[in-house]
Amino acid sequence: MNKKKKKRNIIVSIMFLTPALILLFCLIIYPVINTVNLSFRSWNGVYGMPKVFVGLKNFRDVVTNANFWKSLLHSMYFLMGGFFILMPLSFVLALIVTSKLKWKKLFKTAYFMPIMLSSTAVALIWVYMLNPQYGAINKILEIIGCGSLAKDWLATPNVNVWSVVLVNEWMYAGYNMLIFAAGLVSIPSDLYEAAVIDGCTSWKKLRYVTLPLMKNSFKIFSILCVTGCIKTFDLIWAMTKGGPNRSSEMPATLIYNEAFSFRQFGRSSAIGVILLIIGLLLSVLMNYIFRDKDKVVKQ
Amino acid sequence: MKKKIVKFLSYIFAFSALIITIFPLIITIFCSFKDNEGITLSMFSFPKVFHFENYVAAIERAGILRAVFNSILLAVLTTIVVEVVGMMAAYILARKDFKILSVIKVLFLFGVMVPIHCTIIPINNLATALNAKNQYYFLLFVYSAFQLAQAVFLFTGYLQGVSRDLDEAAIIDGANDWILLFKILIPISKPIMSTVAVLSFVYCYGELMFSMTLLTDVKKFTVSRSMLTFSGEELQLGPIFACIVIAVIPIITFYLILHEKVQDGMMQGALKG
Repeated sequence: MNKKKKKRNIIVSIMFLTPALILLFCLIIYPVINTVNLSFRSWNGVYGMPKVFVGLKNFRDVVTNANFWKSLLHSMYFLMGGFFILMPLSFVLALIVTSKLKWKKLFKTAYFMPIMLSSTAVALIWVYMLNPQYGAINKILEIIGCGSLAKDWLATPNVNVWSVVLVNEWMYAGYNMLIFAAGLVSIPSDLYEAAVIDGCTSWKKLRYVTLPLMKNSFKIFSILCVTGCIKTFDLIWAMTKGGPNRSSEMPATLIYNEAFSFRQFGRSSAIGVILLIIGLLLSVLMNYIFRDKDKVVKQ
Repeated sequence: MKKKIVKFLSYIFAFSALIITIFPLIITIFCSFKDNEGITLSMFSFPKVFHFENYVAAIERAGILRAVFNSILLAVLTTIVVEVVGMMAAYILARKDFKILSVIKVLFLFGVMVPIHCTIIPINNLATALNAKNQYYFLLFVYSAFQLAQAVFLFTGYLQGVSRDLDEAAIIDGANDWILLFKILIPISKPIMSTVAVLSFVYCYGELMFSMTLLTDVKKFTVSRSMLTFSGEELQLGPIFACIVIAVIPIITFYLILHEKVQDGMMQGALKG
């Protein structure tokens, strides 16, 4: 009886797992292995053409290429934008939508809207807003008397990456607001009452009660931000395609451009492998850092 | 007194943030009714004459309605595949005790962490080899695979939180694995399933990279692909804005009707992911 049951268990397990495993192996694990393989070869992308083994040449090409380091620097811009602009902004928005202000439901619904638009729509809207000839941003700067600040936002090196960073923050502020709001709501209100009895001002309440208890939200934000900024593709692609003159490349657009614009499939795969390693390391590292801290607190 | 100032300042901040969020959307709607002259003269003035022909142009020249239909179709199919296949896998991972299952769990976790851009070349080759370019079944599988890893992760976590006493009671009543999963556990898992549905629907509706590499037939373009191509080709600005408006209407309607659910769904995805 028991043996029969075990056998049936195995059959059911295989049956239930197979569809998921087929998808996982064919479209994630096999492609990853293939990318690693291709990163050691030279190939022009024409189907059926030989893929010549060239050893570490692709990797040497990549690490000696200025565009690659620039793309990593641009990821750093996204990271800095995330921690210095997006985090405070989302936190304040979270304070607003969990406060006792009127219309806070309306605020919440509206702030969250941009994330639903899809990044291509957001990107296109802002491309036209930032247009140097007729774009609304330059017009507004003129109206408020800062016409000298007007520039070609998406064609000036560095400025273009920061423009996309800001559009990114515009898009994701509402999303991260919800993460912080969830943390704020979970703080029991008697803690605040106790703080008031102890004579805390609003600022002190925020500093000594709210922030320490929001650690988990900050942790989630950091993980999403760090792992997200290495993967940015859609926004920058739809806004600048990595240009002009490759001045706004991100690691992911570099992969795409090297392969599909410059037919350097080997080199593109090498960047892919490096990105994969960085991505996995960052995921593991972030989880490790925060797990360790929690343990320390418990002790 | 001080409290009043704080309150006043928060209102100012709340409303400025509201304006900054809504303003670009309103401009887009205004511009979708203007001609080139109206847009270049002033983007943010209310349209003097309503050029409804912009919308006709967007539908005829960009085929945006067809693209919206394509995207919704793909998103719905992907969501169904992810829910069913994901639940089946998660049921085994959460409820059976074979040693190999922990290895499989790590594989799915790996699937969550892989940056999708690393896989674009092999997936593109695979599509060429299978003659599957412009075929929706292939795109459906690609979307499903990437959403699946995350879904399995979320489902397994949720099912592990459901007490096993329930299973045992059902088994005593004569339920087999199929009945247990489809009649008992799936109804219980509705909250996490709606989370996954929201995540995968929103992702698929706006997905850009794979539809850019795997589709070349204009008739099969998805929303993002269609918008991007049209904005590169079209000289009249009005129809481009009309195209954007049509593209976001379905997803915004979906959001405004179900905004609490959608917000919850996206949140749960982040907290557990």
